Amino acid sequence: MTESRAKIAVIRFPGVNCEDETRRAVESQGMECDIFMWNGPHERLAEYDGYILPGGFTYQDRVRAGAIAAKDRVVDCLFDEAQVGKPVIGICNGAQILLESGMVPGITPGKVEMGLARNIMPDRDGYYTRWTHLRIESDSSCVTCVMSKGDVTSIPTAHAEGRFVTNTGGLIDRLFENGQVVMTYAGLKGEAEPAFPLNPNGSTRGIAAVSNPYGNVVAMMPHPERAARLVQVPESLPGRWGAARRDAAGSRLVLTEPGPGGEIFKSLGTFIAERLHGSGGEA
Amino acid sequence: MSAVRAPSVSVLGVLGVNDDELLRRLANAGLNFTVDEARHVAELLGRDPTVVEANIFNTMWSEHCSYKSSREVLGKYLPTEGTGVVLGPGEDAGIVRLATVGGRSYCIAIAHESHNHPSQVVPNEGAATGIGGIVRDVYCMGADVVGVLDPLRFGDPMGENGERTREIVHGVVEGIWQYANALGVPNLGGDVYFDSSFDENCLVNVVALGLVVEDEIVRSRIPVEARDSDYDLILVGKPTDPSGFGGATFASRVLDEERALDDKYAVQVPDPFLKRMLVVATREVLKLARDSGAAIGFKDLGAGGIACATSELGDAASLGVRIDLSRVIVAESGLAAEVIACSETQERYCLVVPRELSSEVLRIYNEVFELPEICHGSGASVIGEVIQEARFVLEYGGATVCDASTEQITTGVCYMRESRPREAVSGESVLPEGLDPRAVLLDVLGSVNVASREHVYRHYECEVQGCTVVRPGEADAGVIAPIPGAAVGVAVACDGNPFYGAVDSYQGGAIAVAESVRNIAAVGAHPIALTDCLNFGNPEVPEVFHDFVEAVRGIGDAARGIGLKDSGAPIPVVSGNVSFYNQSSGGSAILPSPIVCCVGRLVDVSCHLTMGFKSGGHSIYLLGKRSTRLGASAVLRTVVGDAMTPVQEVDFEDERRMMVAVTDIAESGLAASCHDISDGGVAVALAEMVLASPEDARVGALVSVPRLDGTAAALAGVTVPSGCDRDLKLMFSEAGGYLLEVGPRDEERLLEILEGSGVWYSRIGTTVAGVGLSFTEVAGGDFTLSVEELARPWTDGATEAMR
Repeated sequence: MTESRAKIAVIRFPGVNCEDETRRAVESQGMECDIFMWNGPHERLAEYDGYILPGGFTYQDRVRAGAIAAKDRVVDCLFDEAQVGKPVIGICNGAQILLESGMVPGITPGKVEMGLARNIMPDRDGYYTRWTHLRIESDSSCVTCVMSKGDVTSIPTAHAEGRFVTNTGGLIDRLFENGQVVMTYAGLKGEAEPAFPLNPNGSTRGIAAVSNPYGNVVAMMPHPERAARLVQVPESLPGRWGAARRDAAGSRLVLTEPGPGGEIFKSLGTFIAERLHGSGGEA
Repeated sequence: MSAVRAPSVSVLGVLGVNDDELLRRLANAGLNFTVDEARHVAELLGRDPTVVEANIFNTMWSEHCSYKSSREVLGKYLPTEGTGVVLGPGEDAGIVRLATVGGRSYCIAIAHESHNHPSQVVPNEGAATGIGGIVRDVYCMGADVVGVLDPLRFGDPMGENGERTREIVHGVVEGIWQYANALGVPNLGGDVYFDSSFDENCLVNVVALGLVVEDEIVRSRIPVEARDSDYDLILVGKPTDPSGFGGATFASRVLDEERALDDKYAVQVPDPFLKRMLVVATREVLKLARDSGAAIGFKDLGAGGIACATSELGDAASLGVRIDLSRVIVAESGLAAEVIACSETQERYCLVVPRELSSEVLRIYNEVFELPEICHGSGASVIGEVIQEARFVLEYGGATVCDASTEQITTGVCYMRESRPREAVSGESVLPEGLDPRAVLLDVLGSVNVASREHVYRHYECEVQGCTVVRPGEADAGVIAPIPGAAVGVAVACDGNPFYGAVDSYQGGAIAVAESVRNIAAVGAHPIALTDCLNFGNPEVPEVFHDFVEAVRGIGDAARGIGLKDSGAPIPVVSGNVSFYNQSSGGSAILPSPIVCCVGRLVDVSCHLTMGFKSGGHSIYLLGKRSTRLGASAVLRTVVGDAMTPVQEVDFEDERRMMVAVTDIAESGLAASCHDISDGGVAVALAEMVLASPEDARVGALVSVPRLDGTAAALAGVTVPSGCDRDLKLMFSEAGGYLLEVGPRDEERLLEILEGSGVWYSRIGTTVAGVGLSFTEVAGGDFTLSVEELARPWTDGATEAMR
């Protein structure tokens, strides 16, 4: 009997800094994971079932966050792999790369249709770190397929440039209609379009994650790898995940169970099993 | 001693030159030497030094590099050894054992430094290179940096230099986040104080914490194997440029307005992107060395650049080095030999590797990680070799520009400075009559030195690496679980209230230790190591030097008096730094500022505690008796302004008993929350516990003020005569202690531990779901403050000062 475990490549660009914990989060959901160097060997990328562009500061955020990496050959390879339906997730700086490469929202593939602009926050500027509440807007994407539309989850954000913007008229409405808005920042009970700090960066209509039309390529600003296990959730966090965390105090067993970010990686595994191998994950 | 030198090598004429002329020559050459020190160099060499040699000695003998005023004092008072200590002070970072997991002995490497002068002159770059420098100290032990902390001291944001101060605050915070966030290390804590004594000389201290497996530690020395085989010196990182030339001497003198422009060039230029690449690439290089069984040496380049790093690598092994400065990758042509040798260009390391490994090491840096392509001009190159004779030889353009014994260069000089006590502070702390405790609490909560630091810490990454368990703002210490899959946790906190030091430097040092230990005990950890960064004014001023000596004595006594939990042996001070010459150009020194960092171990990180109240109907216990001494306290500074009355003296035995009891309680899972008592006393601590409860499940408290005294009468429910002064002292005394929240199921067992511990304690009230903070039996009448009333001053109090 051959066991078929999904195999994920976490791409290490110069300047990324979340590759190790992202790999651990993937592995904790029963998948295999390698850290793959940006400079190759690119022909081996096809061996993987899915790809993650982790957070960090690729190429020092020269020009714009993600702009240089988006021009790299490895991104062209991911573009091709995504064409055959394989999932590609960009987290934070990875999301910036996916937007800069035109893979997301991908209405016209390869065309830059959206950007991630500097945070707009009352009375402060620069970097901002905070746990946010997220409403699931689409439950068919590779990061949300085990969740249901309307669910509220909590995942931390940390960035200086995370405000989804576009100058294409009507694009935002179209993305909502298409189900390409995957998550939005929300109030604790899922209230839409909350003010700062619940919307931590002034993102248009509270958008936190966007996918391509097929849901297999997702650009998300929140960091699920920092919420992969319950122990990573703050005790003082409001909502069900904070309550679960407080209830687990003192119990190592419960604290190592999946946290809200675990559902994101579980979705990735499920997405691969269902879409690429047929349901059940048979080889 | 006469090495063969080409005639073109320029020399600093010392021998046979009179004092006035020599002073003029030193100034012209930009050297900070005293005349005596310059003569001493010529005497050691037996000839006039070359300009390169003069610059090297100038750097190595600076206060910053040589600890010439402090070495004796540190050695006399600080305990630095212990069974858990793998490496005490002396190399770039101290190392202490944490836990054995899966047969591997995991250790914590820790370094603690200041970057004060650079941050005052160029706040962003100064603070960023402070982080850059301290993490290098930890990386070069072979460790992975798993956290940083940043204790900051700024001028008065509302004072006459307020505008400049706010600029500095903004720049420093920005420098820290821009560097540490990009590098990918979480910020686990720190603190911020404001006082006008820091107007012209802010303090930017930085702590870096690393994780390393004991048998993978890399030493900052040439390996003994180099006695029998050929070893190369490899320099890797940023191309060498003139930035930071003279940085060490700049850190070792008083800042001067007229030299402000020169000083800017003494600050290095940070590059966290390249640093990140070096971190990842170096992991591969260290793995290569381990896999091939090769002993190597590894050292970061900090103060004094190539000269300092390579001479220390050599001296540590009683071997020598020969370096060809023309093989150093430079950013621009035409640099003088002394600039290449001594510039403090950031993001560089020196490796000492067996010659047969050199080409593979270069390949990893230059080809696998493409350093020269992705970071223009950077890379690795062989710059020299190990020689058997313990000499430090630099060549440039075919000429020998330095030829001295490594020992002479690194041994430095030593001074015993004159010490004279200040007039002791006396008198009693008096609060004005008729104060309203409710108004006082709101004022103290909103005062700039007590209010929430959220505005600052939300700039910092605190969860990158995925190991963070407790973030800034959630508890008294940051907690991480740095070994994936293992139960063990690490707690870390730093402390150093400068106002205590102003009244009594000994207590300032002792309380900094006690408070940092309380911080980590309050999350359930017990101490395993301390570090200190000692920030003072000009040590040539006898009163300042006396402050310094007293603070060190206080730190040493507290480290011994509190001791390790299990053995009672002194908590070892494994690393640290001394920063003198922190004063204004007018000559007034900063408040004596010993800043201490404590690292603790949590046997099981699941048993950590945070400070937010968890549920209504729980009991609240106070540990630690209140003091009537309010000297240097937040309440006195807020209400009266002048706080120069005697401070409460820290009782080491009490502190030890409390630390043992609290950690026992945490390990037994008996407490729901815990917070230590510091600035603002019990009243502020309670407010913080309310404010740290979850927004959607607020928990308040109902507290009886006489019970803070725990007198028999109060405990029996008999009303004792109360007075405003007495009540305020009980509420705001900053005597060491803890507040514990305990549920009814665990109360009996908690009481058993407290009874057996010899700790003073009192049950002061209960938690109440949904309500704010209420005080009963208090002069002027019972009062309640809602969560919103507490939150407003506490949230806004410091925000204005920080933007």
